[in-house]
Amino acid sequence: MKTTLLKIAVAAGLMTGVATGAMAQQKNVTIAVSIPAATHGWTGGVVYHAQETAKQLEKGYPGLKVIVKTSPDGAAQANALDDLMAQKVDALVVLPFNSDELTNPVREVKKRGTLVTVVDRGLKDASIQDIYVAGNNPEFGRVAGKYFVDNLKQGNVVVFRGIPTVIDEERVSNFEKALEGSGVKVIDKQYANWNRDDAFKVMQDFLSKHPKIDAVWASDDDMALGVMEAIRQAKREDIKFVLGGAGMKDMIKKVMDGDKMIPADVSYPPSMISTAMGVTAAHFYTNAPMRGTYVLNAQLITKDNAKEHYFPDSPF
Amino acid sequence: MDSVLRAENISKSFGPIEVLSGISLDLRPGEIHAVIGENGAGKSTLMRILSGHLAPTKGNLYLNEQPITFAGPTDAESHGIVLVHQEILLAEDLTVAQNLFLGREIKRFGFVDDRTMRERTRGILAELGTRIDPDHEVRRLSIADRQLVQIARALLVPHKVVAFDEPTAVLTPIEAESLFAIIRRLREHGVAVLYISHRLNEVKAIADRVTVLRDGRHIATRDIEGLEPLGMARLMVGRDMSKLYPDKPATASDQVILSVRDMAVPGYVENASFTLKHGEILGFGGLIGAGRTELFEGLVGLRPSLGQITLRGETVHFRDAREAMAAGIVYLSEDRKGKGLLLQQNLRINLSLAALDKFTRGSLIDVGAEEKALDGAIKDFDIRTRSRDLLAGQLSGGNQQKLLLAKMMLLQPRIIIIDEPTRGVDIGTKEQIYRFIAGLAENGLSVIVISSEMQELIGLCHRVIVMRNGRVAGEVAQADLSEDSIVYLATGVHEERAAEIAAGHA
Amino acid sequence: MTETVLRTGAEKRRLKIDMRALSPFIALVVLAIAGALINPDFLTASNILNVVTRSAFIAIIAVGATFVIAAGGLDLSVGSMAALTAGVMILTLNSLGGADVGTLAIGMLAAIGLSAACGLANGLIVTFGRIEPFIVTLGTMGIFRSLVVWLAAGGTITMRNFELRELYRPVYFGSIFGIPVPIIAFLVVAAIGALILYRTSFGRHVVALGSNEDVARYSGVPIWRVRTLAYIIQGICVGIAVLVYVPRLGSATPTTGLLWELQAITAVVIGGTALKGGVGRVWGTVVGAVILELVANIMVLSNFVSEFLVGAVQGAIIIIAMLVQRSVHRGR
Repeated sequence: MKTTLLKIAVAAGLMTGVATGAMAQQKNVTIAVSIPAATHGWTGGVVYHAQETAKQLEKGYPGLKVIVKTSPDGAAQANALDDLMAQKVDALVVLPFNSDELTNPVREVKKRGTLVTVVDRGLKDASIQDIYVAGNNPEFGRVAGKYFVDNLKQGNVVVFRGIPTVIDEERVSNFEKALEGSGVKVIDKQYANWNRDDAFKVMQDFLSKHPKIDAVWASDDDMALGVMEAIRQAKREDIKFVLGGAGMKDMIKKVMDGDKMIPADVSYPPSMISTAMGVTAAHFYTNAPMRGTYVLNAQLITKDNAKEHYFPDSPF
Repeated sequence: MDSVLRAENISKSFGPIEVLSGISLDLRPGEIHAVIGENGAGKSTLMRILSGHLAPTKGNLYLNEQPITFAGPTDAESHGIVLVHQEILLAEDLTVAQNLFLGREIKRFGFVDDRTMRERTRGILAELGTRIDPDHEVRRLSIADRQLVQIARALLVPHKVVAFDEPTAVLTPIEAESLFAIIRRLREHGVAVLYISHRLNEVKAIADRVTVLRDGRHIATRDIEGLEPLGMARLMVGRDMSKLYPDKPATASDQVILSVRDMAVPGYVENASFTLKHGEILGFGGLIGAGRTELFEGLVGLRPSLGQITLRGETVHFRDAREAMAAGIVYLSEDRKGKGLLLQQNLRINLSLAALDKFTRGSLIDVGAEEKALDGAIKDFDIRTRSRDLLAGQLSGGNQQKLLLAKMMLLQPRIIIIDEPTRGVDIGTKEQIYRFIAGLAENGLSVIVISSEMQELIGLCHRVIVMRNGRVAGEVAQADLSEDSIVYLATGVHEERAAEIAAGHA
Repeated sequence: MTETVLRTGAEKRRLKIDMRALSPFIALVVLAIAGALINPDFLTASNILNVVTRSAFIAIIAVGATFVIAAGGLDLSVGSMAALTAGVMILTLNSLGGADVGTLAIGMLAAIGLSAACGLANGLIVTFGRIEPFIVTLGTMGIFRSLVVWLAAGGTITMRNFELRELYRPVYFGSIFGIPVPIIAFLVVAAIGALILYRTSFGRHVVALGSNEDVARYSGVPIWRVRTLAYIIQGICVGIAVLVYVPRLGSATPTTGLLWELQAITAVVIGGTALKGGVGRVWGTVVGAVILELVANIMVLSNFVSEFLVGAVQGAIIIIAMLVQRSVHRGR
């Protein structure tokens, strides 16, 4: 990709790089990490990467303590923030459930002089955050749309939406924008809740309803798996490919292996939490200014670069 | 004398079925007017028409000789006509005062004025001669006290006519006596009292005039003078009722089948001992709350209990009703609707429920055999039903009791314990049930009858054991059976004295 | 007065058809006609078979729920229980490693055993703990769900052996005499369920217990056994549903079975079983499950409902279907 500001690997590199230099300046720092509990493949990946990174960082920076706390919903996350603050932390890395509910709780944290790093979902008030690490949802849709325009050129496409949220809306509207003026046409779209079973059902119905479908934008790897099963059952030959998203290891593996139906994927890596934690730790142990916004661009994963995105040990 | 409320040629039909036809009735100020009849005679329908709950299909009502139609019970209330329901219709979790004023709360600046309501409640209850605390939750009150609260609630509005629907059904004789005092006091104040009951002794004791209904028709209205309970029964049933109780079977032997020693049901019964003989009808008397029901529920394993039970010479202890049934002992609950029958299920399912094992072949139920058993039960027990697809809840009280008897008899028990066998049962069916019980004893089975109706115990049983405060107070042998002897054991004082205590003159 | 002695009622015994039992079927037919009018593709064999096949999991689970609800209970844990059972089954298959029928059979036994044990746990806690089933199963719902998330480490549990997956696949995708296997499975489960509920003492005891626990107790019904067995039957039904579910996608995720408990309860109620217990209608329940799936299918097939409003229209259709049923048996 052309303008990757920061790759996942960079975080790790940056971390180890500064870690050696930091040996001299031993100091005690506590970083709290508040993230959603593992209720979906992607958040499961977030939890995994957060825990792995916490171990690595503590090893790399003597004196650093990282507390990872997961919460099942927004209200619980707000409570968890209170609990974390009681433990006197120097920095907070937070992947908020939603912007509305958590803006004020995070503001309270900020008022105490804590360094705040926000991941993925932005808060209502951007001035709260010191560091912002985000996936790029509009770009996610755009990259996918461009892939259809470049590779399908023209034909009928069905679209799977996730759960009605801003993330979903940004992805889908930019996907459609990217298709404008091309021969690729969206003939149907439905919500399937980023859920495999729901996507299976919706795809079955799409197949009954539309005699000719050229390609499917599943927009998510979980949903792509359900879609594939439905296509296989119907034995339909008209569908040329299915494009998912997020970079689940099973799907990356298929891309690597050259699966015809899964020629590509779009990244939206759960490891962005690692990036955020790395940058936050570096803020305390190096003299480089770390404040600012880091956008992890959605990247098209093809056979050529799939290896970089393949983490066989991750649950996601 | 002028009537305060008069009904002229009232008829009421539900669809094609006419349940009341051409009833005329007048109520005079300062009289107690009893309406009697068997279950299904139309008493309750008439009561509901007079109190505005139902509109008549034909006929007119006159209030102080002016024609009137009621838009509903509230409208009737506003004209001074109130009904005290048979069922206790109170919110158990609210206090007495809150219940009294439910739906008509006194407000001050838009907020409920608890203090005023409490004071007025205390005043009304005092007038009724009771000292129930207005702040008690209704849940904590006895049945009799709840009845009083219900009456107090009815009397809260200015009233000219007060109708009581079977008010003594759940009361002990002493409690009933104090209710009569209240009713007489209403009469003294010039109120017209409509009194519905099928306890004929009671009617004789309290009423001034009696109207008899049968099958929705007006049979007679008579002054109470010269009308004895037996005569009332004859008018109600339409045939001679001189023999309500069958002859006591002479089959009671000396052979003991069941003996109970030092039985205790924690919280209810202590040190209860008695024996039951082959072919005997043994009565259990006492006040409500004396522990009779709990004793037998403990005996058959429905409640935890301690003590020694010897059945046919063997020591037994039942952990649940199933084990008692297997040993040949069945218990028919006084609470037919709550514990005896599945009101929402049909007759067949109710009939076979306890003895289902007898209807299974392989592991499947033989519905044909069940239907045949139902045919047999309908015939043997004279269960009267419009259709065999009816739900148990749609049967009258008497037919429910017959169905419950039929259900338990399918188990072919040796000992039958019947708790309040004729509560809510009309007089014609009562006679049938008494004959059935006597028949059981004649065939060598043993029957225990728990009853609050002393006439029933006296007329039916060989022996009566009386309980008081969770203990066996004594036993009355057949030769000594009388109301006085039972009441004496039940209360510890002689009857006249008991009535005085109840009336609050002590 | 209006009661007459009825001695021989045998001849008119069977004539009256119970409209209440029939009304879910009427609602189903009405929906099918509506579907055909909305999109002719609706009536194609493949679409109908898809829909009925998809309803199999909920239908099978709901047959179990019919027992629990008819007995006056409730089980909110079925969705989580399904996810946990599916996860454990796949892990068992993966660790056995084989690709033969024997391996599959062991995995299936493990699934049924686990789900029956989960049902037993629910039943014992409800019966002996004397706690509201709503609370008990809400608790176990959380426990089962967390266990599957933990087993999956937040990710996905997938069948690793490709050959085994191919061997197992026909259990969802295959058909016998043109009828998909899942449809046969749920018809068999429903038939057995109906037999147990309507023709055995246990079934009669379930209904008695749900109608009135006191009456059941006073009639010598072994209450604790009946109640616990009802929950075990629910568990076994969940296990059977999982056997059909796993071959579809070959995986279990933390979102597997999410909200299935609500769908199962909805199917039971649409089928005419009263939530307060005392009535159980197994065939109605099955029809209820099909109706639920049918409504979702019609939504996707129709062109005039915006994807944003699908949920609202679905909700409205279910309420209307219930109103239709209600008016059918009021008018009898």
